[in-house]
Amino acid sequence: MSLKKQLVVLLISAFLGMNAQEKKKTFKDSFKASLVVASDVSYEFSSGKLQKSELIIKPEFSYKVSSKIRLVLKGQAYNEFNDALERGTPKEETVSDYSKRLFIGDRTNIELREFYVYAKLFKKIRLTAGKQQIVWGETDGLKLLDVINPQNFREFILDDFEDSRIPLWSLKTEFDIKNIGVQLVWIPDNTYHITQDFDAPFFTKSLFQNPPEGIPTIFNETIRPSHFVSDSDIGIRLSTFTKGWDITLNYFYYYDDLPVFYNNLQFIESEEPMVVINPKFERQQLVGTTFNKVFGSTTFRGEVAYVFNQKFSSISPNSVQGIESSNVYKSAIGLDYIKGESVISIQIFNDIITDNISPFNRDTFETNTSLLVSHEMMNDNLKIESLWVHNTNHGDGFVRPSVSYWVNTNTQLFFGSDLFYGNATKLFGQFNHRNRISFGVKWGI
Amino acid sequence: MNTKLIFGFIAMLLLFPVTTKSQNLPSGNSVAEKTFAKDDGISVSRKLTMELKDKRGKVRIRETISLRKYFNKEKRLAIFYLTPTSVKGTAFLTFDYPDASKDDDQWLYMPALRKTRRISAANRGDYFLGTDLTYEDIRLETRISREDYNYKTLGKENIDGHSCYVVEGVPKNQKIAKELGYSKVKYWVDADVWMLRKADSWDAAGNHLKTVKISDIKKIQSIWTYHHILVKNHKTKHETIFRFTDIDYQKTLSDDLFTEEALVNGF
Repeated sequence: MSLKKQLVVLLISAFLGMNAQEKKKTFKDSFKASLVVASDVSYEFSSGKLQKSELIIKPEFSYKVSSKIRLVLKGQAYNEFNDALERGTPKEETVSDYSKRLFIGDRTNIELREFYVYAKLFKKIRLTAGKQQIVWGETDGLKLLDVINPQNFREFILDDFEDSRIPLWSLKTEFDIKNIGVQLVWIPDNTYHITQDFDAPFFTKSLFQNPPEGIPTIFNETIRPSHFVSDSDIGIRLSTFTKGWDITLNYFYYYDDLPVFYNNLQFIESEEPMVVINPKFERQQLVGTTFNKVFGSTTFRGEVAYVFNQKFSSISPNSVQGIESSNVYKSAIGLDYIKGESVISIQIFNDIITDNISPFNRDTFETNTSLLVSHEMMNDNLKIESLWVHNTNHGDGFVRPSVSYWVNTNTQLFFGSDLFYGNATKLFGQFNHRNRISFGVKWGI
Repeated sequence: MNTKLIFGFIAMLLLFPVTTKSQNLPSGNSVAEKTFAKDDGISVSRKLTMELKDKRGKVRIRETISLRKYFNKEKRLAIFYLTPTSVKGTAFLTFDYPDASKDDDQWLYMPALRKTRRISAANRGDYFLGTDLTYEDIRLETRISREDYNYKTLGKENIDGHSCYVVEGVPKNQKIAKELGYSKVKYWVDADVWMLRKADSWDAAGNHLKTVKISDIKKIQSIWTYHHILVKNHKTKHETIFRFTDIDYQKTLSDDLFTEEALVNGF
């Protein structure tokens, strides 16, 4: 080989080598992967059986295409050994085809939890497009404005919201106009709450009126919105930080995530009376605001929502198909007191039906309260916490004491209990036979 | 008579150098001012690794990206947690105002809740996310407070071969002492680069609480920069090591990285 050829080969080799090195470095810097494996077992006192025995594997990948574009993928493999919480293979009638889980037998399912691209465009616009969670609001435990993503109620409201919230295919755009942050959301994904069947431990029977005894009932298929554009949800949030106050104004045009159970008495063929139930998702609108400010060691926070035209199951004989409508005013005020490693947080939730209607199984003015006490020790290795939620109208509620401990950087142990009390016909009291003790371990890398 | 003169002379000799020394030592307040006058750059991006070690030797490691930028005289600091998975996505933002009478504004994003919480800056003596530094320590970034202490300059000592002014501070009042959690502090401030090299603090009961050692101070892009902080809590026997790498004062940090939205969207 001539010297010239040798030099050319050397230069090409050097160039290729350099490029390979750059690519390798870029990929290593840009690509991140993580994995969480969690197992949780709950023992139900009343039945003496395991109420829950789940194993969840959550892989997560992110790739920075450039300094302005990032891809994120979060998956989940879920197995429940006893097939207790969601019995059989759920039909997922309230879930759009794009968001359905893939069931492998009755006990295992695989789900694309989140898959989105985050991009900064024209220096000013932040865009998040894909399957994602969009969270509004300030409250803990109970929700007012956090209504964008529906929820899986397989554990009522005991599951972490991160796990129970159902991510939706949606578009989120954020930009600033002077000192006001603007967030626009568009959600074409027609997926709604997943509620459980009659035989599941956390079937919320308090939401449904039982038909009169001895009268057969026909339960028709739920009418679910299906048009990609005309049935999509849209929302806007304006946020600002001024004079120490964090303030947002929110508007959401959406389908309520629970269907309205229209019902009527019909005489079909046999001329015997039958109750026919026609569940249908209905549109509603919401305007709201959130605010918070720090006063000394205490953070004051609040949330107000006004929902237009919400439909309620009614006990009034004058109701049409068993349903009445009203606007609803909802508010929540919270105080968080933090001292050292201790937190005391109280919240008061009010829910007022503004029109003169007769809703099923609830008052027109309802109040819930919550008290959260937590304390961290050993440089955040050990956390003791207790949450108490109580409905002052009906005297029902639940208490959730728990202890969690980080064994090392990657492993956390959890021990807790969920104790419901109150009238078995009410929202929380209906689960007073579902009290349980839980043990869990979470490992991540 | 002669004996009296000799004793008087010796006494003058003994007094004279002390007086000269006192006159040459800067006041504690001026040392504090100098630590603030040091060039920090307009902005900085750096990787911050925190190593938390308990008294039994159990170690937890957390990797973060720490961003800091001045908006005129207002300083904003954002910390994004990258690993481990248990705290990944956690993000902290603080607005540090030039007006000392105005409390900082602070936010903490908790990915498990997908919510951003306001944190009271009045609790500046609380420990920062399981480490041995307080929120106030993090805010000061190895400078020494100009407002909270009555200082006394004790002299000069060498730390790791560097000449340092030794400054002792006592909180100006009980309220400040309670907020900070210290009844007394002692600082060793480098006399050349005006950066803290060592600090000792005592708790409200007067017990030796913490020792902070700052090392590996070198110039990055012409700015004196610390790379290693070791904090030992003598009470709990817990230790935290802060390691700073990939430090870049010239990287463009857009304003929208220092917002609540940025905490949610991540780094």
